[in-house]
Amino acid sequence: MNGDHLWSLFRVPISMQNAKDSFYLALRSRLAVINPQRTVLVRGALRPGILLEDAEAPVAQPPADVFVMHWGALGAETELPSAMVAMECEISYCTSGTQAFGGLDRGRSLTTMDRELIAILQPLSTPKVNYSVQPAAPMQTQVFWDEPTFPSINVQRDRVSRSARVMVYSYQEKGE
Amino acid sequence: MTDTTARSPVSAPQMIADALLRSVAGSSAQLRVTGASSDSSQSELGLIATTFSEVVISPVVMRKLRPAAKTGDASQWEMLVSATSVQAQVNALDLQSAQALFAMTLAVTMAGSDYLIESVASNEAFGKVYLYRLTLRETFQQAL
Repeated sequence: MNGDHLWSLFRVPISMQNAKDSFYLALRSRLAVINPQRTVLVRGALRPGILLEDAEAPVAQPPADVFVMHWGALGAETELPSAMVAMECEISYCTSGTQAFGGLDRGRSLTTMDRELIAILQPLSTPKVNYSVQPAAPMQTQVFWDEPTFPSINVQRDRVSRSARVMVYSYQEKGE
Repeated sequence: MTDTTARSPVSAPQMIADALLRSVAGSSAQLRVTGASSDSSQSELGLIATTFSEVVISPVVMRKLRPAAKTGDASQWEMLVSATSVQAQVNALDLQSAQALFAMTLAVTMAGSDYLIESVASNEAFGKVYLYRLTLRETFQQAL
């Protein structure tokens, strides 16, 4: 997508909110099935171990052994019969290994999280749902995404981390 | 530091810690604790405003650990908190442990400034915690 198409964002009302919500909840549901043990205690509730960074309180450092989603660059293709919007999602995760191994298994733990992330991203699509109404209303199209890219590992003392990137696409529907 | 000597637990260390905190101008701090009813898809998506309650703990003492090295950096602080006060709030909120209370805390407010909890440590004597040490970091001001 080039700059001309990004500029078209200002001419056509475009929203990615339903796609973002659908993508997050799809990954959350898949993680609960693939690894029910990966959980996180947030605001007093035990939830699957994946968080939306912009929907949670700011923290001093990201929690370990949990996937944290962060939305980035936005683009749009409006020269199609239906406008298509794309947004980059960064999924960060870090681990210090397990206490039982004294942290010496942190490399293995990170590999496990790599594998889990690949698993929850399959299949590469999910139905788009409007969660801002009660009950949630299914929409006409799907949210779909590319294969993730995995940059190199970041090591900070006893903590290893990685930030995978996925480009998520969605067709604009009427009323969005 | 933990005293592992086999002696029956007494409240003396807690009373001494409280007295020492008060004697060095111990003040009070507020923990902004989230409501427990936040387990829904809509709250995870930021569609439902979470309820908060302010929990007051006292006496506490704060000291600066590390000043900001450059503009934009956040200073690090250590807050010494009375274990008696924490335990009273744990009982009042019907929580299982002090760790649960700190895990539900979004921010610590003292003298009008907000801080984020970076880590929690405790000091024990005779098998009982008499002091909690919270490492805090200043938050950036949020738009109202």
